[in-house]
Amino acid sequence: MIKELLSQLFKKPATSKYPFVKAEVPEGFRGKQVYDANLCISCGLCSRDCPAKAIEMVEVDGKRSPLFHLDLCVFCYQCAESCPRNAIKSSEFFELAAINKSDLVLKPEGNAQKGKCEQQ
Amino acid sequence: MKILLETNKNAGIVALTGLDLGKTIGLMYHMYTNGVIVTVRTEVPKKKPKIQTITDLIPGAQFHEREVADLFGVIFEGHPNPARLVLPDDWPDNLYPLRKDAKIDEALAKNETAPSKAEPTPAQNEGDLVNIIIGPQHPALLEPEKFSLKVDGEIVKQVEPRIGYVHRGIEKAAEQRTYLQDVYLVERICGICNSCHAACFVETVEKILGVEVPLRAQYLRTIILELNRLHSHMLLLGHAGLEIGYETLFQYMWRDREPVMDLTELLTGNRVISSAMTVGGVRRDLQETDVPKIKTRMATLNKKMDFYHKLFENEPSLKMRTQNVGVLSKEDALKLCVVGPVARGSGVAIDVRKDEPYEAYGEIPFNMITRDEGDSWARLIVRLDEVNESINIIDYALDHMPSGPFRIKVPRVVTAGEAVNHVEAPRGELFYYVKSQGTAYPERVKVRTPTFANIPAFIKIAEGGNIADVPPSFVSLDPCFSCTDR
Ligand code: SF4
Ligand code: SF4
Repeated sequence: MIKELLSQLFKKPATSKYPFVKAEVPEGFRGKQVYDANLCISCGLCSRDCPAKAIEMVEVDGKRSPLFHLDLCVFCYQCAESCPRNAIKSSEFFELAAINKSDLVLKPEGNAQKGKCEQQ
Repeated sequence: MKILLETNKNAGIVALTGLDLGKTIGLMYHMYTNGVIVTVRTEVPKKKPKIQTITDLIPGAQFHEREVADLFGVIFEGHPNPARLVLPDDWPDNLYPLRKDAKIDEALAKNETAPSKAEPTPAQNEGDLVNIIIGPQHPALLEPEKFSLKVDGEIVKQVEPRIGYVHRGIEKAAEQRTYLQDVYLVERICGICNSCHAACFVETVEKILGVEVPLRAQYLRTIILELNRLHSHMLLLGHAGLEIGYETLFQYMWRDREPVMDLTELLTGNRVISSAMTVGGVRRDLQETDVPKIKTRMATLNKKMDFYHKLFENEPSLKMRTQNVGVLSKEDALKLCVVGPVARGSGVAIDVRKDEPYEAYGEIPFNMITRDEGDSWARLIVRLDEVNESINIIDYALDHMPSGPFRIKVPRVVTAGEAVNHVEAPRGELFYYVKSQGTAYPERVKVRTPTFANIPAFIKIAEGGNIADVPPSFVSLDPCFSCTDR
């Protein structure tokens, strides 16, 4: 134990310096969804399979599109898997803390994802 | 049942499944003998659901019977303590949530409650015994459960556990979701052994479907399950350090556990909830570039484990708090039907990975670790040794990874049928029963988690010991309450 203690004494801390140094996530991390309105065919499969019932189908410019309630989402990515057109993709964005639940709604407006987290 | 127990001394109960069959309630006693599960079926009429208890034959059946009594309203005649176990004490009478005709929404709308059935713990003390209540706020790990102790001076004389504080009704919820969605639901029964729950569930569904997953998927599942075991065991070993007041051990162990979490993230896309399993295989393939990364980290971890081995063998303060503390004899372990490292620490050689190999475990050489001491130290050492075995299993699986597909397409609608399955989760044998009616929704999902089987053993372990030894010996069981309650 003493040996281990001494050897640790001169090493830098094991903890990372987040948020000052950005934490790296590996490729394929299941972060915030990226929805591509151009690929979507409004089939609603994503909404049907979502285990957390986090996807609501809403009408945007006359087209049924998925609206993600990220406060309900469990980031399982079943929606991405169920989508026949690959309109839902993963991102490495994980800093999703928000003050209001309404900030955690991913609206399908022409791919412009509004969310407080992104404005920051 | 008697015959079964007489012919095999090592037989025990795994689970007791209740099943609503319309006019009757089916009871399935799943028994464990020589590594296989034997199911004894019986039915009781719904109008008069009464049956003889089996606790006189198997004391380990106590909790199982109380759970079925709560959720199905079956009365077990002659049960030594037929109090509520998982439902709250003010839950309405005659509302049995897992019966298909239970009108839970109505009761909820009326905000119906019944007068609490909990007996208030007497303030005055009986004779020389003093009542001490540990919990419900985190008695050991950070989860709620209550233990009422009767103590004589420093010595614990009697323990009465009460679980159910985090009962979320997942078995009921699973009936209302599709098989596909249930994989993610059951994964969330326990954060720590999440992959084991998912794997056990998908294997059960695969058994009903009669499909065989590709060999590569089996190997990938094995790797993910072992990573799960690694981080769970290391979490516990660190936590044991914390409970005995050895915080340096806690800090070091958790620091070294971090690479395992990173590997899980690399492999599956998330640190904790892996969501890697699916009916028919795994959801994501292993990248060739990841193999050396996993191998180097496993090698580093292996070296680090030498240090912990020396520590556990030689550190006097650690040994003083754990050796000859909380002893569970082999006879008691068998009688109470304990599972996993708790059983193996008492010299009972059971491990589902060996007894009934699933996934790739049949092809991978590894040792089953047992200890005969039966004390807290033995239970910790079993886990420490299993960490090394897990590292070897992962190494072997990476070296012998077969090529081919990693998942196959399966229908969403599962053919009518039923199946039982068990896997070795980090805390012991995890059991699932799934019944399908030929739709996309399961008719019944029954989960028996390892801690549920191990809590009765805690009564034995704590009785006769010091109060100060309650937390460390309890932690040596590796309790997980959100599993226990479901
Ligand atoms: S990631 Fe999972 S929970 Fe989130 S929206 Fe997609 S399917 Fe639903
Ligand atoms: S599954 Fe894909 S294509 Fe269908 S509605 Fe959802 S995003 Fe659009």
